[in-house]
Amino acid sequence: MSEFDAIVVGAGPAGSSAAIRMANKKLNVLLVERADPPGSKNVSGGILWGNALAEIIPEWEKDIPLERLITHKGTTFLTKDSSISIDFRSTKFLENHSGYSVLRARMDNALANSARKAGAMVVTGVTVDRVAKEEGKVVGVEQDGEIITSDAVILAEGANPRVAIDSGLRKPIGDQDVAIGVKQIIRLPENTINERFNLKGSEGFAGEYVLSYLEGEAEAGGFLYTNKDTISIGAVISSSKLREDGQTHSYDIMESFVQHPHIAPLLEGGKLEEYSAHLVCEGGIDSVPRIYGDGYLIAGDAAGFSFSNGLMIQGMNYAITSGIAAADTVIEAKERGNFSSDSLASYERKLEDSYVLKDLKNFRNIDKVTWSRVTHRAIPKIAENLLYSMYHETGRPKKHLMQMILESSRDSGMSKSQLILESYRMMRRM
Amino acid sequence: MIKQVPDAEEIFIDPVKFTLNRASARGIINPADENALELALQIKDKTGMELVVITMGPPQAETALIECMGRGADRGILITDRVFAAADTYATSLTLAAAVKKIGDFNLVVAGESTTDSGTGHVGPGVAQFLDIDQVTYVTSAYVDKENVHCERDLEDAVEVVETPMPVLLTVLMNSNIPRHSTLRKKIDAIRKGIEKWDHDTLNLPPDWVGLKGSPTIVGALRIPQERKREGKLITLDDIPEMVKELYEKGVIGKEEEL
Repeated sequence: MSEFDAIVVGAGPAGSSAAIRMANKKLNVLLVERADPPGSKNVSGGILWGNALAEIIPEWEKDIPLERLITHKGTTFLTKDSSISIDFRSTKFLENHSGYSVLRARMDNALANSARKAGAMVVTGVTVDRVAKEEGKVVGVEQDGEIITSDAVILAEGANPRVAIDSGLRKPIGDQDVAIGVKQIIRLPENTINERFNLKGSEGFAGEYVLSYLEGEAEAGGFLYTNKDTISIGAVISSSKLREDGQTHSYDIMESFVQHPHIAPLLEGGKLEEYSAHLVCEGGIDSVPRIYGDGYLIAGDAAGFSFSNGLMIQGMNYAITSGIAAADTVIEAKERGNFSSDSLASYERKLEDSYVLKDLKNFRNIDKVTWSRVTHRAIPKIAENLLYSMYHETGRPKKHLMQMILESSRDSGMSKSQLILESYRMMRRM
Repeated sequence: MIKQVPDAEEIFIDPVKFTLNRASARGIINPADENALELALQIKDKTGMELVVITMGPPQAETALIECMGRGADRGILITDRVFAAADTYATSLTLAAAVKKIGDFNLVVAGESTTDSGTGHVGPGVAQFLDIDQVTYVTSAYVDKENVHCERDLEDAVEVVETPMPVLLTVLMNSNIPRHSTLRKKIDAIRKGIEKWDHDTLNLPPDWVGLKGSPTIVGALRIPQERKREGKLITLDDIPEMVKELYEKGVIGKEEEL
């Protein structure tokens, strides 16, 4: 007889969602989190897209601390001198909510409290060492030499899944699986944020950036999200390109982003409140490990469930949906009284039927777009040349658009045929 | 005895009431109290004595007691009641001493030397006075030998070794040991066992001895120091004579006889 029906490792969106779901179905659940309070150790881009929480917390837009409703979305190429944006704002988002900026220190604590209210036991401030195994089957978790038994273990420990790795349930993380995220939270008065980003009330802005001014091999994306009275700004840096480069440091990239002439004015006068860094899942479907086995399931970032195509970075909705799917699988397994690998295999089928694995499979090669010389150097250069020659009045006769495009691509470092081929590939992959 | 204090990075002073606003800050165990708990746990490990942790505070302080039990304390008692609110160090010591008496026979009372949110260092000695027992302050380590406790006291320029019969109260300096972590097993057991909540009825003290009414302290005034503008200047080796001259002229440095 196990002490718990299920032990969930990690009280992020995946783990807490799983715990809430199982506790609602009267399972005896232990949720273990190393941070105290939950949320205080994580780093997140900070936009919760979609409506995934509604399934476990019907009134989630009231019950979970949210910052701003995203109504304004930007994608920007930053060169040394210029900023080239696709800027989308729509009042449609006021009725059909797409995403909210969140501060995870608040959101994760609220989710863990919801799990506690639902009846789960929540233990914070303790780090699980590894899963406990008996004849190859996971039978609980081990911490400080003691074993706590359960019929099922859900590992939802985030982008650096030490328990899964140390227990031999997945291979160690490599350069190809993760990027490095560096993030600052900067405090500014609410009305200053509204003025600078042209926002009303609790409307919010979410911007993604391609930091194409970087030199050498380094490639990085930036993000800037408005919260109520803070701004979350960060850089997501390719770890393999950083290694290739060998000269640039992640913190220098972060610093160059916040000091960029087109970014610094947005942050001026703000007070730096938090500075943090974390691994970011970036490997796509090829980084997803085996996500279930005898007595265990892996959910959220620990399973590599995140999505980025440069226009959108998503992870929390994948975490919540996979956490709920893992919970439902355990609930069904309990009804059958069978927690073997075969019995838990329905977890993968559930995810294959949902957007989680569909997105990851459909965008298998997206990293070749998001991390490429074309995206990070050639396109921004061409766009900058083109727009500058269009908008800059020289007093000389004007040229036709096609002529300008051809001239603009000259110093992009790529031939015409290369550009056409790469553009075609990019359209297909995105 | 422990106290849950606000994380020092998250507190601010209420400009009207001159009290600390703790509402928004994360609660942590007062650092010196963590060292006091560790010292008590070491004594418990060797002697098998029962270790009871008490704290006075709002209901949220429960998490601090669960953490202490997760590290190995046997019981956690939360003294909580609206009438105890706004107590100064006198009323707090009196209330805590009443709680210690109610626990029953004891050999040792161990407390942190002072807290990060008020820093008076009054409460440990105050409790010893109300209990009418001896006290050893500024303790960095201790062990129990039969009826006596051996303590080392840090006197800044010396270490004093004290041997004294029990019962006695010790106040323990911050950073005097490395507090252990709580374990999953012990924390699960702590949550299942739960803490004990004692209120005004439990302690049965006269109402005007506790809380704000029982507190003779009056905060006369509070001054917040003005932030001083600091000037940053980058200099090279060649600039040093010029820099010394400038500092002298600005009165930052002076001749030896002038200082």
